[in-house]
Amino acid sequence: MFFWQLVVSGLSIGSLYALVGLGVVLLYRTSRVLNFAHGDLSMVSAMTAYTLITGAGVTFAGAAALTLLAAFAVGALFYFLVLRPVKDATLLGQIVTTAGFALVLGGLAVIVWGADTKAMPFPLSRFVWYDVAGLRIDQLTLGSFVVACAAMFLLYLLVQRTKFGLAMRAVSQNDAAAKVLGIPVRRVLAVTWGASAALGAVGGLLLAPVTFVSPAMMFEPFLKGFAAAVLGGLDSLPGVVIGGLALGVLENLFAGYVSTAFKSTVAFVAILAVLLVRPEGLLGRKVVRRV
Amino acid sequence: MRREVRNRVVWLLAVALAAFAAAPAAAQERGITPSEIVLGTSAPLSGPAAAWGATARGIAAYLEYINEQGGIHGRTLRFIILDDAYQPPRAVQNVRQLVEREGVFALVGMIGSANAAATADYIFRNEVVWMTPAVEQEQWIGNPNIEYLFVTYPNYYHEARILTRYAVETLGKRRIAVLYQNDQYGDSGRRGVLDELAALGLTPAAMVSYELTDADLTVHVLRLGQAQADAVILYATPAHGAMAARALAQLNPRPQILSSFTLADPVMAVLAGEAWNGVIVPAYFPYPGTDEKVDQVLQIILERNPDLASMAFNALAGVSFVEPLLEGLRRAGPDVTKESFRDAMETIQDWDGELLRGISFGPGRRQGLNRIFLSQMMDGVPHRLTDWIEYPVEY
Repeated sequence: MFFWQLVVSGLSIGSLYALVGLGVVLLYRTSRVLNFAHGDLSMVSAMTAYTLITGAGVTFAGAAALTLLAAFAVGALFYFLVLRPVKDATLLGQIVTTAGFALVLGGLAVIVWGADTKAMPFPLSRFVWYDVAGLRIDQLTLGSFVVACAAMFLLYLLVQRTKFGLAMRAVSQNDAAAKVLGIPVRRVLAVTWGASAALGAVGGLLLAPVTFVSPAMMFEPFLKGFAAAVLGGLDSLPGVVIGGLALGVLENLFAGYVSTAFKSTVAFVAILAVLLVRPEGLLGRKVVRRV
Repeated sequence: MRREVRNRVVWLLAVALAAFAAAPAAAQERGITPSEIVLGTSAPLSGPAAAWGATARGIAAYLEYINEQGGIHGRTLRFIILDDAYQPPRAVQNVRQLVEREGVFALVGMIGSANAAATADYIFRNEVVWMTPAVEQEQWIGNPNIEYLFVTYPNYYHEARILTRYAVETLGKRRIAVLYQNDQYGDSGRRGVLDELAALGLTPAAMVSYELTDADLTVHVLRLGQAQADAVILYATPAHGAMAARALAQLNPRPQILSSFTLADPVMAVLAGEAWNGVIVPAYFPYPGTDEKVDQVLQIILERNPDLASMAFNALAGVSFVEPLLEGLRRAGPDVTKESFRDAMETIQDWDGELLRGISFGPGRRQGLNRIFLSQMMDGVPHRLTDWIEYPVEY
């Protein structure tokens, strides 16, 4: 019973790690850029939603929709205004640019919203629970899992079942060839950045009731999401989902049975172990360089 | 040409040396000039303990008021707040800056037992007056260097013992667990619970720690549920305390939460919602709404900083840190030095300030406070449960 309780809550938090990681992987696949501002974008989205709900009296659904749209816009704008101008920089330079963006967002958040911890009004409650097969599952845990899975499924549909998704995959394979074939690479990249930011916003909104809303709220989840991406394979979308879920469950089992002090440590140790055996991650593609 | 350059360099060096030598002799005392006294603090204005940063802002608002009244013996009080985000390395940096660059006479408060542990040696070596670091106090007991340290802050270890005793003897709980932050602050609480249970012939049902970076305490609370704890003693930051309370509310049966007084502020009811109902928490000065003098001080600080209204108790706690310092300065008179200030502080016996009641110092006594009382929180309103409960004076 205790075991299953741990697994259930592990799957729920794991799905949130996966959601965060998906945003990172989506971008990495398409543009090879690791977006270190992903966590802070999610945080700013959560802050915006908080202000809309508590300051402007918008309903949660309305605030969520507005926030997703705003996140999409910010992501796409960041691509156009910041990354495109530096597209000729080395990859490392572009990654560092995202790290800079992260710092800017973090600082802005403190100035605009203050450093205090805030409680986000949320339609799903921790205090409403369902007794399923002897397990107690609360509305929030269940709801987060369902919404995260829905978001992941929508992403799957976008990438695998739409023409635009085909274009995204083409750009991620070889952007020069895609350009030659008439694919609007800039538009694809802008939409990818927007989609990644929107995914991050969903993650931020779902994490808000768990971690509370504060400028540092996404620090640990982003780290874990990124770790899930590395574990699953940085260029594999299913990989990060499996990685995230596995990470959540592994962490919980270890903390539940052995020690809470090393809860996060064991997650990273596991990743190290996997990478030693399979450097490309669980589902990543092996990189073979022909000499 | 070369000789000209060399001569110029020598001349510049000489001027520089002369300038240093002739630098205005530092004020008689660091941080004291004829017109002002410089005070400072390193506080968590950001990070997981940001709610506790309200203490520093409360001090600032109160000192504004004091200055408006003419200051103390004709000197205004300048208060410098530096943010350490609850991180020891930043606290070390901040303290150095306050002492060496700003030249403070006294440090008022500091939040973070880990931060105090990291900075104490430096502060004592430089003989900086330190008024009520809001930290665990084991480190002061038997410490020969605390001549300029004065503390009017409850002791976490003894508080934990009092909470445990209350849970067992008054509430009849038998399976006491402790959920604590994995640092000096949380560990003080853990030891207090352990020792009191041992004295009562019991053992803890569970002792579960969390890391400051943990963003989710679900599994920690699941462990407490697994251990069938009927009372949980909580040593946490506001954010983590709220997370824990919300998770604990789901356990069946729901354990009684007894928290360190660090989470006495009704902002916890805002963060944790109905999960904070019934939480038992100590205090060391009367709550606003229960005492006229306290209400007056609250009004004074809210007039100068209305944002403090959402964390009134934390802000008032800050004023309780600086109150004794102001009294010491008053008693020391206009010709104040750190020695005369220390002597003046030692004359404080059974003193009532605006917030604090029954404070005593003395030669060899630096622990000004040795009592707390318990209340139970309901919908953000404290309901008093006990009279003052005393614990030993140890330094």
